Amino acid sequence: MDSLSSAELESTHVHSVYEAIAPHFSDTRYKPWPVVERFLNSQPDGSIGADVGCGNGKYLGVNKKLFIAGSDRSFNLSKIAHERGFECLVCDNLKLPYRDDSFDFVLSIAVIHHMASEERRVLALKELVRILKPGGRMLVFVWAMEQHGRRRFDQQDVFVTWNLPKDRYRHPPEKDKPESETVQTTTNNTRSCHVVYDRFYHLFLQGELDRIIELAGGVDIEETGYDRDNWFVISKKRYT
Amino acid sequence: MRLITHNMLQCPVKGCSKDNFPLRIEDAEIENADADFNPQFLKRMLDRIAWGALVQTSFSLGVAKLPESPGDPNDDEFLQTLHHVLLETRVKEGRMVCNGCGHVYPIREGIPNMLLQENEV
Repeated sequence: MDSLSSAELESTHVHSVYEAIAPHFSDTRYKPWPVVERFLNSQPDGSIGADVGCGNGKYLGVNKKLFIAGSDRSFNLSKIAHERGFECLVCDNLKLPYRDDSFDFVLSIAVIHHMASEERRVLALKELVRILKPGGRMLVFVWAMEQHGRRRFDQQDVFVTWNLPKDRYRHPPEKDKPESETVQTTTNNTRSCHVVYDRFYHLFLQGELDRIIELAGGVDIEETGYDRDNWFVISKKRYT
Repeated sequence: MRLITHNMLQCPVKGCSKDNFPLRIEDAEIENADADFNPQFLKRMLDRIAWGALVQTSFSLGVAKLPESPGDPNDDEFLQTLHHVLLETRVKEGRMVCNGCGHVYPIREGIPNMLLQENEV
C-alpha cells in the first residue's frame, strides 16, 4: 500500500473497482439508512441539496419535495442513477464543480473513507463545506474501526474484498480491467465463480470524523452518532 | 441535465475564478420531460437560483424568455414557465464551455463529465 501515492491508490483500488462492480454494487444498495432518511425528511420543502458520491442514487428519491443534484466519481454508477430517473453528474469530491454557498444541504454517505490520506479527507470535507449555504447542514457517514457486525479489522487502512459473481455479472472487457484484478486470482468456491476486487478503506476511530470536520472548518457539529458499523456527524455551516 | 443543475455549476479548474459561471452550453440536444408542478417548491427555489445566469442560459438555448428580474411568485403563468425551464428542460447531449479558461465539459446521455486531468487539480 505504501508504494502507491494516495491518488494512485484511489484510482486503482476505489475508482476502477466501482466502475467494474457498479451493477452488482447497485443491486445490493436499495434500503435507505434510517439516519439519512430522517435527515432528508427534516429538510424544508423545496430545499436544494447535493449528494456527493450518490452511487446508484438510492437517496435521491427518498423525499420527493426536495431537489438533489447527485454526483459520483464512477461513470457506471452515474449511469445507473440517471437511468433510474435521477439527476447525476460525474465529478471528483476534491474538486467539486459547484458554486460556493449554494446548497441547503449536503450528503456524503460512505465516501470520505475511500480517500487514502488525512490531507485528502480534509480537502474533500472542505469542498463539501464550500458549496453549502451558511446555515445549511451536512451529513457525513464513514465506516467505523469499531465494528459491531461480523467484520474485524486490525488496522485502519485496509483492503476490503468485493466478490463479483461471474455467472450473474459480466465482468468488464480487457481494456477496462482494473489492475487489482490482474494481481488477484479468480477463486472457485463450491457455489459459483467470483472475480475478486480489493477496495481501499480508511476506517474511522471514534471521534476521528469530528476531529477532521473541525480541521476542515467553517461548520459547527450538531450531532455525532454510531449506526450500523458507521460513524456519522451532522454539522451546520457558520454565518461567517 | 436539468437547467436547475446547470445553475449550480461553476468551472472547477484550479485558479479559474473569473467568468467561471455560468458555463456556456454548446451544441445542445434538448429534451423535455414532464415533472410534477409544485408552486410552493418553486417559490422557495426562487431565492436559491442565480437569476441572471438562468435568464441567459434559457434564452441562449431558445427555451423561454424569462424576465430580467424574478417575476411575481404568485403569478401562476410565471411559475409555470419557471417550472418548465428549471425542471422539465434537459440537456441530453452537448458540452459546457467555461467562459473564463475555455475548459470543455462534455454531456453524454444526459450526464455531464466534470472531471479534470491531474494537472488541472
